[in-house]
Amino acid sequence: MDGVRTRRPYDVRVATTTYREVRPAQRTRVARYRHSLWLLTKRDLHVRYATNALGYVWSILDPLLMAGIYYFVFVVIFQRGNNVGESPYIVFLLAALLPWTWFNGVVSDNTRAFSREAKLIRSTSIPRTIWINRIVLSKGIEFLLSLPVIAFFAIISGATLRIDVVFLPLAVAIEGVLLVGLGLLVAPICVFFKDLERAIKLFLRLLFYASTVMYQITDIPAGGLRTVAELNPLVGIFGIYRSAFFAHSLDWKLVIIAALGSLIALLLGILVFRRSIRSVLKEM
Amino acid sequence: MAVSPDIDVSSVGIRFKRNRRGRRSFKDLFSTSKRRSRPDEFWALRNVSFTVQSGEAIGVVGRNGQGKSTLLKLVAGVILADEGRVDVHEGVAPLIEITGGFVDDLTVRDNVYLTAGLHGMRRGQIDERFDDIIAFADIGDFLDTPYKHLSSGMKVRIAFAVIAQLEEQILLVDEVLAVGDRAFREKCYKRIEELLAGGRTMFFVSHNERDLRRFCTRGLYLDKGRLVLDGPIDDVLEAYNRDYG
Repeated sequence: MDGVRTRRPYDVRVATTTYREVRPAQRTRVARYRHSLWLLTKRDLHVRYATNALGYVWSILDPLLMAGIYYFVFVVIFQRGNNVGESPYIVFLLAALLPWTWFNGVVSDNTRAFSREAKLIRSTSIPRTIWINRIVLSKGIEFLLSLPVIAFFAIISGATLRIDVVFLPLAVAIEGVLLVGLGLLVAPICVFFKDLERAIKLFLRLLFYASTVMYQITDIPAGGLRTVAELNPLVGIFGIYRSAFFAHSLDWKLVIIAALGSLIALLLGILVFRRSIRSVLKEM
Repeated sequence: MAVSPDIDVSSVGIRFKRNRRGRRSFKDLFSTSKRRSRPDEFWALRNVSFTVQSGEAIGVVGRNGQGKSTLLKLVAGVILADEGRVDVHEGVAPLIEITGGFVDDLTVRDNVYLTAGLHGMRRGQIDERFDDIIAFADIGDFLDTPYKHLSSGMKVRIAFAVIAQLEEQILLVDEVLAVGDRAFREKCYKRIEELLAGGRTMFFVSHNERDLRRFCTRGLYLDKGRLVLDGPIDDVLEAYNRDYG
């Protein structure tokens, strides 16, 4: 099919791959999906890091500032720092704040997942779930890159690393599934209901205090309130992250709740996404 | 060369809301019942069926708002039909909103790699074609300039150059060639002719009769969301001129 070729006057040299080789349709769908996903994720990171002189610093500054504030309030003012299971408090805070930053960033960015890329969505036909997954992935990479911050504070505050750190990939996996599910749910709905963008920001603030970032689940008086709090998948997930430094943080019952909750979010997300994508594309 | 269909469109229909600012409800969002049509919706296309063989150049004719661009977008896969099927068996190089994938803050070089990559090219393949792309767009001095600092003409030139280098079988062209100066437009036309001579399939939407006759052999005439006539381009243009000339 490539045989007939007229003269190309502006050609500096003739490309050596043939038409057949380049046809992306011949590559598997999975390979194509990975290729596009990785490209857009790299673009996200590249834009963020190439256009700011302090690229990396910005991505860890937010959780660091928050940790600094809570440290001041709870350790310096309220003298909470020596509670059993929470000391050193700065490490206790960061172990949940950094994954929270990932969660918060993904959910709030997903409210604009489609509108922000409308031009690209109108002109390329890459699989549509990429618009959600690339946010999960790029924020996830930023999260992993911010982990050395915990290591730094753990060393200067003398916290010891426990063997439970091996469960870190499990926590990342559960949180990743949860985020993909929530993204698939939030992104299409926000195309239709612009007000939800605001509502979700408020909800995230509420969720921050409801999740066990500044305290541990056992600080909530046993009873109805704690049962409700335990249904929050983030509680179980943060427990796994914390178990790297704090004994008694890991509660397998809560981990199972988190895993189930994340799977439900994923199934619900897939359902909503599949049924709404036609309408979403028409709105682009 | 064996003739095989590149595009199969069978009884395709798609509907839109008449009032785009209209109130939305959760029911709208999840409406899947394909037959039911609500009063505030209209069918932009309905019962459209045709097959495109490999190597054909098809011109889509019709007045504004008769579904030409919608049809092109369905073939490009950027919107999905509410009924019927669109089967595209080969890769597509869409010249629709060609500047869409470009990021303002990245340099021209990064943008070329990004856009070509999103359309399925691998890094090595882009490396090979990179000089061709830059030579075609004629913006060699601006390789490391952020995209946002290019003039609007240069933006379109580099975007066209990238898509025109995609080695995809099907080319979709939606009046993008109205932009750019005359010399560049002629260069684009030459490139399209070369691609057609190389056996590509093309789907061309235009109001320009001269361009349609120049590139296309077959025409599709859309009116009020229906496919009125599917035949040789001269017959189609004649019918169109008879109705609306």
